[in-house]
Amino acid sequence: MEGELSNCRVWNTGHLYFTLKDDAAQVRGVMFRSALRLLRFTPKDGLRVVARGRVSVYDPKGEYQIICEHFEPEGLGARQLAFDQLKQRLTAEGLFDPRRKRALPVLPRKIGVVTSLDGAAVRDIIRVLRRRYANAHIVIRPARVQGEGAALEIAKAIGAIGRVAGVDVVIVGRGGGSIEDLWAFNEEVVARALAGCPVPTISAVGHETDITIADFVADLRAPTPSAAAEIVVARKDEVQARIDRLSQRLDSSARSRLHRLEARLRGLEARPGYGGAHGRVLMRGRHASELTVDLRRAIATSLEARARRHRALRAALDTLDLRHRLASVRARLLAATQALDTGVVRRRMRLEGRLGSTVARLESLSPLAVLGRGYAVCWNDERSAVLRDAARTSVGDSVRVTLQQGEIRCDVREIMTGHGTDY
Amino acid sequence: MEPTIKDFEAAIAELESIVKKLEDGDLPLEASLQLYERGVHLSRFCHSRLEDAERRIEILNERGQLRPAPADLDTDEDADPHAR
Repeated sequence: MEGELSNCRVWNTGHLYFTLKDDAAQVRGVMFRSALRLLRFTPKDGLRVVARGRVSVYDPKGEYQIICEHFEPEGLGARQLAFDQLKQRLTAEGLFDPRRKRALPVLPRKIGVVTSLDGAAVRDIIRVLRRRYANAHIVIRPARVQGEGAALEIAKAIGAIGRVAGVDVVIVGRGGGSIEDLWAFNEEVVARALAGCPVPTISAVGHETDITIADFVADLRAPTPSAAAEIVVARKDEVQARIDRLSQRLDSSARSRLHRLEARLRGLEARPGYGGAHGRVLMRGRHASELTVDLRRAIATSLEARARRHRALRAALDTLDLRHRLASVRARLLAATQALDTGVVRRRMRLEGRLGSTVARLESLSPLAVLGRGYAVCWNDERSAVLRDAARTSVGDSVRVTLQQGEIRCDVREIMTGHGTDY
Repeated sequence: MEPTIKDFEAAIAELESIVKKLEDGDLPLEASLQLYERGVHLSRFCHSRLEDAERRIEILNERGQLRPAPADLDTDEDADPHAR
């Protein structure tokens, strides 16, 4: 019997009641729950179907009705109808919403694959992965991809592989085949499993032209299994090149910072205080006499300030050295930025050498360095004046003598006038 | 002291922003050295992650166990000899 469905209603018994009509006539019908469950699509008002069943009489009303065992939709096949209906339903649920789509990891740790071990797809995927990212770690969950029960198996496989530690992307698919062969990927269980997968999914079913429900739900649709493998990892050498470029830019920016450090050091050395202090202290060295307590303190203070500044600069250089060592470990890994690094090392060593000689010069300026060479400073007992003339003392006076290490208090026993070099 | 690195993507993104900062800004010495060290750390992380993955194919069986895949699945005939 052929006609259009209307007044479709599923009672809480699970049976479907409906009216089947054409332009001229109509008849009531029922499809029992057991038969209804076997339909791939959901009967709806307005749908034209070919109904198979038998006629019976509905006793309470004395009406004829047909008890249907099966509907076959007219025009579109049952499959297409099921596809459209499921697609519509899942769309309404928001399962295909672009905002649900997750980004794939740039560099997956482990790549999950759900497919049959017998097909060409699994080999295609492995081959392409090996070519692009040879040390890729692949985890395969075999599943039958066609035939009775395939959909459920695929769904379970997706659920299982999404929970494997380290798997951060899953490819689900199979090679080309007839629409019947691919049908499992149009089943709701598979769609639900994809939507529920904790990590991003890529569908890769059949050929470019085959579109399945799985393609709409997956985070990304690949036209073929090989294409899925292309998509899932960037070429390793490309990623490597990108990191290398960043590392080089990192180094050259650090080098330019080093240039500025160098300039600052030059500026410090060019300061007038530098040469001036040097000359002044030389003079004072000649007559070590003017070494008063105040002056000594003043010079020590200024020396210390300078030494502090140099220590700070040197510390900065030391840190740079440490960081540079880290950098060169990486550089060895790359063997790419070697020339560049040599430049950095050379410049740093030059800079350090200059710092060293500056510090040495500062040290030679210290009046105390004169004492180091064996000179001593002689003071009056109060330590308020440096003695330059023996005639200014008397026998029996006490004087103090400052040595490089420590001080001596002495009594004057004899006075000889004239130049010290005469004796 | 050193913030942990979330993942590869995050590391690349941070490295990019560090390089930009070092190239653009005239940062104080100490800050730029710190950024540099962090950058070196990140680039090492990225490189090691690239090499990290173990060349391996495993089969997840019905009981949820991981087993090595049959050798014939992983054939090298078409592999690019230059890729490591």
